[in-house]
Amino acid sequence: MGKNGSGKSTFSKVLVGHPDYEVTGGDVVFKGENLLDMEPEERSLAGLFMSFQSPVEIPGVNNIDFLHMAYNARRKKLGEPELGPLEFYAYIYPKLDLVNMKTDFLNRNVNEGFSGGERKRNEILQLAVLGADLAILDEIDSGLDVDALQDVAKAVNGLLTPTNSVLMITHYRRLLEVIKPTFIHIMENGRIIKTGDSSLAEVLEEKGYTAISAA
Amino acid sequence: MAALTFIHQNLLHSTPKLTTSKPNLKPKRTKTKLSIQTIRESPQASFTDQFVLQLADSLEDSLPSSSSSLPLQKLRDNSSEALLSTQWPSRKDESFRFTDTSFIKNSDINPISHPPNSLDLLEVSRDTQFESFNFVDGFLVDSSFSSSKLPDGVYVGSLSKLSSEGILKRVCELLGDFEWGDLFWSVNGLGAPDLMVVYVPEGCRVENPIYLKYIAVEGADKGSKKMPLSNPRVFVLVEKGGEVGIVEEFVGKAGSECYWTNSVLEVVVGEGGKVSHSYVQKQSLSAAHIKWTSVRQEKTSTYELVEVSTGGKLSRHNVHVQQLGSDTVTELTTFHLSVGDQTQDLHSRIVLDHPRGYSQQLHKCIVAHSSGQAVFDGNVKVNRYAQQTDAGQLTRSLLLEPRATVNVKPNLQIIADDVKCSHGAAISDLEDSQLFYFQARGIDLETAREALVFSFGAEVIDKLPYSFVQKQVKDHVKALLKSRRKGSS
Repeated sequence: MGKNGSGKSTFSKVLVGHPDYEVTGGDVVFKGENLLDMEPEERSLAGLFMSFQSPVEIPGVNNIDFLHMAYNARRKKLGEPELGPLEFYAYIYPKLDLVNMKTDFLNRNVNEGFSGGERKRNEILQLAVLGADLAILDEIDSGLDVDALQDVAKAVNGLLTPTNSVLMITHYRRLLEVIKPTFIHIMENGRIIKTGDSSLAEVLEEKGYTAISAA
Repeated sequence: MAALTFIHQNLLHSTPKLTTSKPNLKPKRTKTKLSIQTIRESPQASFTDQFVLQLADSLEDSLPSSSSSLPLQKLRDNSSEALLSTQWPSRKDESFRFTDTSFIKNSDINPISHPPNSLDLLEVSRDTQFESFNFVDGFLVDSSFSSSKLPDGVYVGSLSKLSSEGILKRVCELLGDFEWGDLFWSVNGLGAPDLMVVYVPEGCRVENPIYLKYIAVEGADKGSKKMPLSNPRVFVLVEKGGEVGIVEEFVGKAGSECYWTNSVLEVVVGEGGKVSHSYVQKQSLSAAHIKWTSVRQEKTSTYELVEVSTGGKLSRHNVHVQQLGSDTVTELTTFHLSVGDQTQDLHSRIVLDHPRGYSQQLHKCIVAHSSGQAVFDGNVKVNRYAQQTDAGQLTRSLLLEPRATVNVKPNLQIIADDVKCSHGAAISDLEDSQLFYFQARGIDLETAREALVFSFGAEVIDKLPYSFVQKQVKDHVKALLKSRRKGSS
């Protein structure tokens, strides 16, 4: 958590290798390897996932084709045989229920004409299909109505296992009530200034960021 | 009128995104009056071009000796006369400023005088998956289409076999009545050995599309200067309230490399009628392909064109849409792909003379070769009485190699003062944000580029109204883009 402009999204974009940012110093070690030496697609294949705050539209590319490409890239990396279109369909079909989406969702172009809620669901669907050791969810709750929030939260909870981690960026306690965080970190000016358990969110809600900065 | 020329300088570091106006510009009602000058398609020279004269002679010699029907004879006479005062176009002519036709002129042009032998024909018909009407080297041959499938009163076939006096009279009235034609229009008018007529009577809706397949069989080797010329010609007349879909596909027989197809399609859409036109050009990469599409639209009629052109060393499509009454709908959608040393050219002109016309044009092209070129000159003319016209035009080009060239000249000429018009042009490399989205999901850059390049054209291909055409075009474009990738690696 942290104020607007405190660097939360910037930090996550740097981690996944967004081309707008250049790292001038330091290391990022992920599973024993330096992330900064890797191309963005290698970071993804290494098990790092970030959901975009506002994912781009890709006209002309089918959602299912996109997921298929991404999933096969992963299988190739793991040395497993790539899935054909039919096998992939069988694999992805049950995942749709997870985010409560209809089948026609797969035949639409990636994010094109998607509502805010659909975009967020689509990001979670990608996470469900690809899997990740560390998933960074950047404001996955923004722009969601109550029902959509429940769906997304349920999906994220379903994806959490003892062997993977989720890092969420949020401004609201609402999300934290349905996805229980182990830790809450507060960021200011690009640094973590406070770490605590989920009770920290309550303090924030009551007294605001000034109370934390001052303390 | 300024034309825009962009040469892609650097593939990786620059993203030249240049717009003449915002592509997503919200259309607004404009009160601006623009003064316009009349531009003749090409300055008509008064003296005779010896080269054209020779070509005209050889065209006349190539014609079948049997007497032809009245409309065709009239067309030949008019074309022959026009050729006497027409010169071969040069880069000095406005409409050929960016299109170099010397490649054709420097070849040994040889009009094809007879259809190929039956063995070749057999091969051609075996090749055709769908029931189609086949033109082979410009000659209409027996089709695999059974006429019993057509509704009563519909005629599809050669003019010479047309028995109905009524239809013949209508064709005679309307055929070749066109003042905007250029040299190539007249070459076809003189050299067309036959005329195919598609006639749809009043109120008749033709369920299945009329599939026209044009096959070039006679062709010279790439190295030789020989260039066999064919001149297929089709006339489509849809009477009041009629509806028909036309699919045109142009291909060369495997092994035929160097040839010139010079085709003309005339369309007249009656009141409230609808013509949905799909045009797929997959000629050999060493061929010349010139095509005219002239459309006349009566009131409340609809004409929709979806074009995908990928073949030809030189390919040019001239489209002219003339509005004859109010409330017409016109949609032109084009995708051009140059994967080799190719020029893909679209010259379109939509003339609106009546109120409440609607016209929408989308032109997209990809130039994926350092000596490839795309040309677009899209003119929309909104004349004095064309009030409340709603006209939009957008051209988007993707340049994938250094030195790949595109010349675009989108232009609106507006005289009416109560209209809604917008136009835009964008030339770019692929969007970084989209590429990153792929990478962030573990897809490597090369695969991402390939998917995005394909999707750029897919927007147009998806508009083809028949799924069987869509599928074969998609496969063809994919294969071309793949061959390019292999060639470069």
